[in-house]
Amino acid sequence: MYNLTEDEKDVLQELMNIAYGNATAVVAEMLDAFATLSIPNIAVIPVNELLEQFKHLKSQSYFFSTQAFSGEFSGESAFFIDATSAKNLAKHLEIESDEDLDDAILELTNILTSTLTTRLAQEMQTQVSFSLPSISHVPLAEISDVETFKNYSQVIVIDTQLIFEDQKINGEIFILTKGESIQWLKRKLNQILDQLF
Amino acid sequence: MKYLVTDDSKLARLSLIKSLKVTVGEAEIFQAENGLVAVETMKKENVDIVFLDLTMPVMDGYEALPKLLEHNKNAKVIVVSADIQEKARERVIALGAQLHMQKPINVEKMKELLELINNV
Repeated sequence: MYNLTEDEKDVLQELMNIAYGNATAVVAEMLDAFATLSIPNIAVIPVNELLEQFKHLKSQSYFFSTQAFSGEFSGESAFFIDATSAKNLAKHLEIESDEDLDDAILELTNILTSTLTTRLAQEMQTQVSFSLPSISHVPLAEISDVETFKNYSQVIVIDTQLIFEDQKINGEIFILTKGESIQWLKRKLNQILDQLF
Repeated sequence: MKYLVTDDSKLARLSLIKSLKVTVGEAEIFQAENGLVAVETMKKENVDIVFLDLTMPVMDGYEALPKLLEHNKNAKVIVVSADIQEKARERVIALGAQLHMQKPINVEKMKELLELINNV
């Protein structure tokens, strides 16, 4: 079990904040909307605990899209958007068919997660490459069956919300990684910390 | 010249202070971890230049900005944020900030922004 110290968490939170700011700006421009940024919540937890947290989610149905990335730092970015937000997104973009809505959410995920991960990697002076994003519609009761969660035992959850208040669109983003990436990340965060003193 | 660096992240504060010290040499630099502490520091120290993050707990940058200027209308406030949306920029400029800069601030950016505010 790897844990992040308070200093490591602080560094990662700040790097994530920078990356998320960039990603949000790109998506805000795409949607012609203004997003409220929240402070990312960083935690290293077993995947089972993450699934427990999902039980507190309010909506009964979710769009869940993921995009894998590889490199020295590898893992998967996941974007959750509840059914109501997805409907509001469709309305905002004047989308009528379900197929077009899937396409819009995939594009949103692609832009959001690739900008986010690229910027995060840049701040950590490394490079990542991306796989194509995929999307699934998940009833709340079946979230633990999502394949992504079966691939990870312990995860760094970088939990932050995407909130477009006027459009009533809320999403949640997670970055899931494995043990070796967590070790790499810890080394990198400590190098950054060392450079400060 | 008195400086105030406001950010909830210790890393962000230390990193900005490092760039600031390289650029201006030894200076009187105060730190605040949120907007409320920044406003209290402004009341006590009457600082000249404030670096202000936007997304912070307790009191965010949007709320703190007018309160800071209320206590020292001559202070120059530089918003340093990850939020680089155009509407965020417009909003902080309307609230009285001199500049809106994207994080992180390295030495080159620090030189550039200090030159800019001296010309504002």
